Order: sequence, then structure tokens, then C-alpha cells
Amino acid sequence: MAGGNSFWEKLKSWTPIFVIAPAVVASFVYVFVFSGWTMYISLSDSTLLPTYGFKGLENYASLWANRRWGVAYSNLFFFSGIFVLTTMAVGLLLALLLDQKIRAESFWRTMYMYPLAVSFIVTGTVWQWLYNPTGGIQFLVQSMGWTDFEFALTTDRKNAIWAIIITGIWQSAGFTMALFLAGLRSVDGDIIKAASIDGASTFRIYRKVILPSITPIFLAVAVVQLQSAIKTFDLAVALTNSGPGISTTFPATYVYDLMFQRGQIGEGAAAAMMILAALAVVLVPYSMYLGWRRRREVARV
Amino acid sequence: MSDATLSSAPALDLEAGRAGRRHLISRIVIYGLLTFFGIIYLMPLWVVFFNSFRPLAEISANGLIAFPQTFRLDAWPQAWSEFCIGGQCAGMQRYFWNSIMMVVPATIISTAMGAITGYVLSKWKFRGSEIIFGMMLLGVFMPGQIALLPWAFILGKIGLANSVYGLVLVHCIQGLAFTTLFCRNYFVGIPDDLVKAARIDGAGFWRIFYRIILPISPPILIVTVIWQFTGIWNEYLFGVVLNSGANQPITAALVALSMSGTTVRTYDVMSAAVLIGALPPLLVYFFGGKYFVRGLTQGAIK
Amino acid sequence: MNFKSKVALGAAATITAALLSGTAMAEPKVLMLHQWASGNDAASIAKLGEMFTAKGGTWEQTAIAGHTANTLAKLRADVVAGNAPAAVQLKGPEIAEWAATGGTADMDELATAEGWDAVVAPELLPVMKPQGKWVAAPMNIHRINWIWGNKAAMESVGVAELPKTWADFNAACDKAIAGGKVCLAHFSADWSDATTFETVVYGQDIDLYRKAFVEGDVEALRSEGMIKAFEQMKLMVSTYMDPAIAGRDYDTGANMMSNGDALFFIMGDWELGRLVSIGKTPGADILCGQSPTDWGGNGFILNSDSVVFFNQNNPDFQEGQKLLASTILSPEFQSVFNIAKGSIPARLDVDLTQGFNACQQQSQAELKGSIEAGTLVRSMAHNMTVLQKYRGAMMDTITEFVNSPEMSAEEAANIMADAVEAQM
Repeated sequence: MAGGNSFWEKLKSWTPIFVIAPAVVASFVYVFVFSGWTMYISLSDSTLLPTYGFKGLENYASLWANRRWGVAYSNLFFFSGIFVLTTMAVGLLLALLLDQKIRAESFWRTMYMYPLAVSFIVTGTVWQWLYNPTGGIQFLVQSMGWTDFEFALTTDRKNAIWAIIITGIWQSAGFTMALFLAGLRSVDGDIIKAASIDGASTFRIYRKVILPSITPIFLAVAVVQLQSAIKTFDLAVALTNSGPGISTTFPATYVYDLMFQRGQIGEGAAAAMMILAALAVVLVPYSMYLGWRRRREVARV
Repeated sequence: MSDATLSSAPALDLEAGRAGRRHLISRIVIYGLLTFFGIIYLMPLWVVFFNSFRPLAEISANGLIAFPQTFRLDAWPQAWSEFCIGGQCAGMQRYFWNSIMMVVPATIISTAMGAITGYVLSKWKFRGSEIIFGMMLLGVFMPGQIALLPWAFILGKIGLANSVYGLVLVHCIQGLAFTTLFCRNYFVGIPDDLVKAARIDGAGFWRIFYRIILPISPPILIVTVIWQFTGIWNEYLFGVVLNSGANQPITAALVALSMSGTTVRTYDVMSAAVLIGALPPLLVYFFGGKYFVRGLTQGAIK
Repeated sequence: MNFKSKVALGAAATITAALLSGTAMAEPKVLMLHQWASGNDAASIAKLGEMFTAKGGTWEQTAIAGHTANTLAKLRADVVAGNAPAAVQLKGPEIAEWAATGGTADMDELATAEGWDAVVAPELLPVMKPQGKWVAAPMNIHRINWIWGNKAAMESVGVAELPKTWADFNAACDKAIAGGKVCLAHFSADWSDATTFETVVYGQDIDLYRKAFVEGDVEALRSEGMIKAFEQMKLMVSTYMDPAIAGRDYDTGANMMSNGDALFFIMGDWELGRLVSIGKTPGADILCGQSPTDWGGNGFILNSDSVVFFNQNNPDFQEGQKLLASTILSPEFQSVFNIAKGSIPARLDVDLTQGFNACQQQSQAELKGSIEAGTLVRSMAHNMTVLQKYRGAMMDTITEFVNSPEMSAEEAANIMADAVEAQM
């Protein structure tokens, strides 16, 4: 009897592990096996279909010798930097505005967040209409009388990337706003009350009390936005299709082009590995920071 | 006494007046900024909305941003049931239902799996559970193009290629990283003592889940559902490549309408189609938006 | 059609029917994967479906919108999953690449029975039979080197006829500018820039075209001749086109010519399909002619859409493939499909006086002339010559050049040569 019980008990104590085992195994395969496969393919002679002959670093060499890849990689840094900083700034501003006890807050909030519900393809297409010099914003303003007005970003080789940046901000700032708003709201009410009893102005309360206490959120938001920027694909394709010329090529669009249009799966995999490398450059320091912070908190306790 | 109060009253009024003016100015600035951003945010929606009611000839003549001069409802039924996509002239409705059949099960399953996995990783910690969580987290950052061919291979091997079930499986596993992240961070906020007390009382794994965890998890579950629904509904690449012909999702129809290569752009039908296509996620955000912020307050941002 | 061909056709039909009914119990069905998801193109494929169904087959298709890359991604996903589709729209050197993987089906039996080798244009044979066996069925022949002219616009600035050489073209354009009109309608996309550029190269020096764009010779890409071609291109982009070419779509660009705002448009013959659908009369309102050629005589840059067949295990699909191939190469389909599309049949024995317009008839006559003169080439811009990796490198450079006023012709030639060399 006792033996049976303890066996049953033991089995029950393994329930959690049984329950998450399929999910864990699936995630393991998804993350590590797929990336590992991609890494192997990047070192192989795959062209039209994946093949497994070893070719060393040749794919990487020919990738970097490619002008278009250089454009794509530099676009990545330029776009990511500006995109992340600006979506955070706009999101923070909107969150601060919404935190001011305004009327009809849910109306404003929904208005800033609805772009998140729309697919990148639709956003890119509709904004392409707006950027169209002969039918969009430029046309509208000129027909209202300001005939010198120019707003033709998508047709300007040097500045087309700003079109993608602006549209990207339109789409994503609502998410950063939601995160910041949640953070602002979760600051302990007592501390704020104490500060205002002490006579501090609203501005001062924000600067000295609230903003510092949500500093960890800044980093988390930045990381989420950064990974979204690095994976930019649908938006770039729908808005400018890597044009004018090749000026708005992004690494993710070029990976797709290499792998499927140009029948160079090996080189495409090498480019994908470079994207993962860019992600690692962001993630590794961040996770080290998180670990350091956790150790500090534990030590304090 | 009364002299003092009489003489200090105007001074107080002046102060109050100045504070009142400052308050008014700050209100004007706040609402002004909100409106400014509001216009930028709403403009694309207006444009699409109005263009779905304007005849194509008028759009070509007067540009894409204008009030309708003639009001036409034709574009809507055309987009829904008449437009020719891929040789069949049955509009978008088939693709719409395909998407619903794919997104609803995928959202429900990935949310459920995320909740349970998050529950385990936060309340039933074991050696290595933090490492497992970290590994699952990496899934959030994977670019989609890398996974395309491996998924095709796996689906082929298990016989789910070119079917809705295969796609549901793919989206579940890819969404697992996000849903687990949200749920685990949320559940971490539930006091461990509650769980400990329940265990001492003899409650088992599932009992604690149903009695303690689930009742307080609606906010984060809604966040997860919104996130997954929107993401899967709007996804294009996997939906088109891992599927075929009759089963394609609504994003395929939208791309067919918008990238029409060498033929005329039918802006009016496109506008109606875009609105139809965006309606489900918009409704989800509309009704669930409040919970989104509330749920995020307690999750995701740790 | 005359008596002899009727007999031949009848015989072929009988043999085909015998072949097809050989596996008596199988019901022919097919799944065709292609990228023509909307508009005219989709309607044309729908016609193929109708004819296939009329002959007793079950028709199913997967149309993937957006770029060709999406269709090719789906094809790879299917092949990797072990589920290659029965019929796929593929063309050019990719047919050879896929044949080399061993996955394509052998259609020789049907080809011999129906006598394809005799009637299909000879330039297409090595493309459809990359290893000596038929693996693909050509649907049409497109001509790339057309120049279209709006008659009224031309007359209004004093240009009497379509220019014959590039010198004529430049002179005509100078007149157009003096008359206040745009000379050449254009919209910048990698394929349309490349289309215009390859007609320039072909028209200036056919040997340069062969060496550079058909063989992919790096020195030819760097040569003086190529620099000269880039200079002509720069002249056209900077002076003869209007400044807003980037980001413009096909329809808007082409309408500039058909409305009379611009004199000329250089584009392949699918423009004919569009012109007819908007009510223009080719040959009357809109003139068609060979794009300017300095070396005189008939020239033809060829592009062909084709359907490739992949090995199938299921006998229903095997039957379906044969039925589909037979349908595609049938004179009925070749007529119906091409009349709508603006191209000409891949079979040289179809009579074009029934339903085809003047420009299409001219196209076929000039095709035959070009074959005889030995000036027929295939198109690089439309993926009929070099591998995609080289073509991609070339097109990237050409479109960058078109959009970069500060890039010199010599720089462009060197960049293009380097880019192609880097892929070798």
C-alpha cells in the first residue's frame, strides 16, 4: 500500500515536467535546431535547394563582397537606432500626456494603439498612397495652394528610408506608449503623495520620482523595439520594395531575395546568421545586465 | 482680524488666478499635443475609409486624400464577394473564413499552453527551470525567414503540409515564446505563500491552477489573446507558403489586391478590402484595449 | 489551316488520346502553382483551367501574389516537404537548374507523339529540354524589344515615324522636348530599368549583348561598349524621361504614353494586352515598332512563360500533367491565351490572321526574320539567360544607376562587372 502510494506521489510530483515537456522540446527544436541548421547551411554549397556539401566561409566572403548587402546592413543600423529612440520618445510623450487625468482617456488610447492591429502589409500600402507625389500628401497640399511643398520621400533615393522610419513609428509607438503607461501607473501611489505633500510641483515629481523608478522599463522597451526593427520585412517590401534603386534594402528582405529569388540558399543563410549576430550583440549584454541586477537584488535581501 | 483677511483675500485670489491660468495653459498644451498626434494617427484610417466610398475615376482624378464627391457603396460587395483573385471571382470571403479557422484555434491553444507553461515556470520551479525559460525566450527574437524551410520539411514529414492544421501547429510553437513570457512574468507576481498554503492543504498541480491561478489571470490572458490574434491574423509569409490554393489566409488576398504588377490599381476595392481585413483585429483591440494596459502593468515589462 | 496540317493534327490527337487513355482508371487532375494572382494574367490562366476541365481534367491552382520570390519560396517549401506540385510556372535557366536536381518529369513520350520538336520555335528548345528531354511546355513567346509611340503626340511635335536607330531616337526626343512633351514614359523598378537598358545594349551592339548578358562575360560587362550603353541610358534618364520615375507603378507610367503626355514607351508586348483592354487600336492610335537598332535588320529579344512538370507518384497527377501539357501546346490554347495577353504563340504554325492584332502579326513575322538572320536572343531582364545570382547583380547595378545621377557610366560598368564577378 505504502509502496503504491509513494509511486503515485512520485509520479504526481513529475506532473509539472510532463506538462511542459512537449512545449519545451518544441521550443528547443524551434530555437536551436532551426538556427543550427541555418548555420550549417551557411557553410554549405546550397543553391537552389538545401544541399550538405561543406564549403567553409565562402558564402560569407561573397556576401560581404556584395554592394547590396553593404547597403542593407548599414540601413539596419541607421534605421534601428533612429526607430528605437524615436518610438520610445513618442511613446513616452504620449504616455505622459495620457497620465494627466484627461477626459475620455480610453478614446485617445485606442486611437494611438489601433495601428498595432493592422498588418504591416496594409500599413505599407496605405502609407505608400500618402507618400505618392501625384496623389498623396504632396498633391493635397499643393492643390491647396502651397505649390512649393515637397513631400516625396519614397521617390528620393537618399531619404526614402525616412519614409519607412516614419511609418514604422506610426505603427509601433502605440505599443511603447502602452508599456510606458503601464509603468507610470504602477509606481507606488504613496511615494507620489508624499512628494506632493512636501510641495513638489508635478514636473518635479515626474523628474525625480516617477521616471527614475521606471528606468528598467526603458531598457525592456528598447530591446523589444530593437528586435522588431531588426526583423523589418513586410513593411519595407510593401512601402518601397527596396527602392528607389536598391537604397532601402533591409537584411531580412535580402535574405529572402537570396534564398528564394536568386536560388542562393547558402548565401541567404549566411546573411541570416549575420542578422542573428546583430541580435546577439543586443541580447547578450542585456541578459548579462538582467542577471547582474537580479544578483544585486538577491544580495540586498 | 477681518482687516487681515480682507487684505489678504485679493492676494490669495491673484495666486489662485495665476495657478488657474497655468492650469488652463497646461490643459491647452496637453490637449493640443494629443490632437496633433491624433490627426497623424487617424489620417490613414480616414483616407482608406473615404476611398472605399469613392468611385475609382474620382480617385484617379482628385488624388487619394479627399472627401468623396460621389458616394458609392459598390466597392464593399465587390471586395467581399465579387473581386477576382487568382482566377476565382468570389471576393475575399473565402480567405476571411480561412483566416478565422486558422487564427482562432491557434490563439486559443497557444494561450492555453503559454498559461500552463508560465504557471509551471513561475510556481513549480525546479533545477534548470530558469535556463529553460531563457531558452524559450530566445524564440521571441527569431526572424521568420530562417524557419521557413525547416518547417516545410517537418510538416512534410508528419503529413501536415499544405493544410490548416500544419499552420496552426507552426503558429502555436512560434507564439509559445511570447505567451509564456507574458504569463510567467504575470504569475511571478502572485504571492508564493498562497500556493504554499494550498499545497499544505493537499491541493495538487491542477487544483491550484484552476482555483488560484486562473481566476486572477484574465488580464494577462487577454493581453496574450490580443497579441496572438493580431500577430497570426496579420501574418503573410507562412500563411501563403505553407498552404495552398483554397486554404490561403486573408493576407494573401490583400497582397493580391495591392501588388497587381501590370494591371490597374483598383484603389476603391482595395480600400474596402483593407477595412474588411483589418476589422477583426481592430475589434479585438477596441474591446480589449483597456485590459491590455492593465495586463501589461503586471507582466511583460520585467 | 490546310489539309495536310489538319491530317497531322488529327493523327496527333488520336495518338495523344491513346496515350492518355492508356492508364484507363486514372482520372487526370493537376495542381498548378503560379504567380498570376490578379488582373489580366489571372483571367488568362483561368482560361487554361477552363480548357483543361473541358477535356475531362480536374483543375486546381495555387496563385501566389506579390513577387516571384513568394512563388519560388512556396515551390521550395513543397519540394522540401516531399510534395512537389504537378505543374509550376518556371522559366529560363531555372528550368535547367531544377532539372539538374532530378525532380522534373520526363515528357518526351508525349512530345514525340505530338511532334513538339517540329513546331516550337527553335530558340526555345534548349530551354525546355535542358538535358535533352522535354520537361516543360512553353505557353507563349514575348517580344521585349518593342517601342510604342503615341501617334497624335508624335505628330504634334513633328516626329513622322518611330525611330529606327538610337541616333534617330535622340533626335526625335530633342523635338519632343522642344514641343514641351516628355519623350520617353518610364517607371523605375529593377525589371523595367533592366528591360530598357537591355534594349539599348542590344540595339547598339548585338555581340556585346550576347557576351555580356547571355554569357555573363565579365570583361564584356566592363568594356567600352557597355560604358557607351550606360551613357545613352544616362542621357535618356536625365533628359528624355520625366523626373518622377521612382516609385511610379506600371499603369501610371504606361498611361503617360497612351494618353499622349509622352511620345514613346519601351516595354515588352504585354503592353499590347493592356492597350487593347483600354480600347486603343495597336497600329492605329498607338504605333508599334522594333526598338531602335543601330545595325539595321530584324532583331528579336525573346521571353517565354512556361510550365514545368515535377515527378509525381500519384497516377492521377501523372495523367493530369500529360493532359495539361497537351492542352498548353494545343493550337486552341496558344491562340486564345496569346490573343488576350498580347504575346504570340510558342508554336510557329498557328495562323495569326485569326484574331491577333497587327502588332502581334508583325511580331511573328519579325521573329521568323530574326531566326533566319541569326539575330534572335533571349532576354536577360526577364530571366531567360544567366543564372539568377548574376542577373540579380546586373539588375541591382542598372537600377541603382538609373536612380543615381552622380554615378558615371564608367563607374556603373565597373560596379556591374565587379558584382557579377563576386558571384562567380
